Amino acid sequence: MATGLDRLQHIVVLMMENRSFDHMLGSLKAVNPAIDGYVDSDTFTNPDANNTPVKPQALAEFQGQLNPDPDHHFPAVDVQIFGGTTGAGRTANMQGFVTSYFHQQEDVGHSQKIMYYFKQSDLPVLTTLALEFAVFNRWFASIPGPTICNRAFAHYGTSFGRVDMDPFDVIAPIKSIYTRMITANPKRSAKVYYYDTSSSSMEVANLLQHQTEQFGTYPQFLSDCGKGLLPKYSFIEPNYSDHDTDEGEAIASDQHPDHDVQEGEKLIAEVYTHIKNSPLWPNTALLIVYDEHGGIFDHVPPPPCPKDTFHSSQIDPGTGQPFQFDRLGVRVPAILVSPWIEAGTVVDRVFDHASIPATVTKFFLGGYPNVSLREQNAAVFIEPNDGSGNMANNLLSLDTMRTDCPDFQMNN
Amino acid sequence: MAIVYFPKPKGVRSPDRPAGSLLLAQVKHLREAEKSLPPKYHSGIFSHAVETEDEAARYVRAVTEAIHDAHDDAAAARARKAAKRKKVVEMAAMADETAGGKKRSKKAKNTRAKKGRRR
Repeated sequence: MATGLDRLQHIVVLMMENRSFDHMLGSLKAVNPAIDGYVDSDTFTNPDANNTPVKPQALAEFQGQLNPDPDHHFPAVDVQIFGGTTGAGRTANMQGFVTSYFHQQEDVGHSQKIMYYFKQSDLPVLTTLALEFAVFNRWFASIPGPTICNRAFAHYGTSFGRVDMDPFDVIAPIKSIYTRMITANPKRSAKVYYYDTSSSSMEVANLLQHQTEQFGTYPQFLSDCGKGLLPKYSFIEPNYSDHDTDEGEAIASDQHPDHDVQEGEKLIAEVYTHIKNSPLWPNTALLIVYDEHGGIFDHVPPPPCPKDTFHSSQIDPGTGQPFQFDRLGVRVPAILVSPWIEAGTVVDRVFDHASIPATVTKFFLGGYPNVSLREQNAAVFIEPNDGSGNMANNLLSLDTMRTDCPDFQMNN
Repeated sequence: MAIVYFPKPKGVRSPDRPAGSLLLAQVKHLREAEKSLPPKYHSGIFSHAVETEDEAARYVRAVTEAIHDAHDDAAAARARKAAKRKKVVEMAAMADETAGGKKRSKKAKNTRAKKGRRR
């Protein structure tokens, strides 16, 4: 029996910005030891510029601490993961976070802040959802690099060989998940909801520029949700900047350093609450995931993975070596929410952002002929409901829908 | 389950905060997109001078709206063209029908005439 899967009709993905798993959810290991986070008795450290071991500390602040923005471009992440070692046969040891941050200001004290994490009580929304639904112990960024190429994996299942922030070309025959959905027979609806036109989308070069009909705003998402009119697949982008709007003032909610983390908590609570209070709650699964770690520490080495269809040039990564896309990026927070998921679920299988188009494609379309090698090899977080799914991995496994799911309310 | 309370964000809005690498990359992507728009949709903003989040947001908004406007206008133009084509086709069909109808009525007249003669 797979009642939750039988009812599932909508998948919503909310992709936040630049925070690592240990930084946001690591404290939950003290509450649930199955969650692979960090507790004080753990021995993980990073050396600082004086070679003094720096332990993670629960001293993270909502804003004003990670300034300048920690470097998370390919060469810096390479240092963070490999501790500055180069050459063949090196091992990922997660020893270079403090070193990498030190390079930006040459301030030993400031560089240690990259090892700070939030207490559970600091993030009541994210940590409650992690404990009450399914939290992923092994969801990694798709690339040890920055935002644009990582987000490309969420839309296309590949970054077409790019490891940087430059506009990229979509290379045939790969198609975005949105094109796959709307050209299917029968057609499946799919939409990217950006916050507003002043924040817009991070997928400009291909989707926004050529397929404007695939976009809506965040207020439209809330309205569609309330009316029970969500597309089959929705991808929500947070607000990327502080700016004026026609209605007043908007504050960035993406949680990208040095934006206010509490604004992101408010956004996550709002998305969850609107879905929960909508007629679509029994039929919707919400994935909350971060695009990459933003240069902030995590103790789990990213695993190798099968190569992608595309690889980078020798120059682009900035390390002197081409990248074959045969290693994942740093671990990020990921939580799957549905009233059919058992509270306290912890998932140990390996995922990355290619899992998003892989899951949406398999669930709604059954399959698609032309996907990248990385997407072909990506695990799905919702099993297909056509008899081909592995029900041992089904997270929406409850026979009856939960009525004890949390509600959130903002204090004034 | 009990309600979980979360604090109202206390962050101060800082539109003058320097735009970070992510926003500057977005501006760069939109600059490329703007180049491919017809000139009448260009923002007139010198995007290379963008320094703050608010300046980035103003440019992002101008080009995002321009992209939507250009697509909407193109769709409307296509619809007008299609409607015009349909109208021409309908007019041609009507003309054919009228011409055919006249022939038919002449034929019918003849038939009636023949029938009348038979009687």
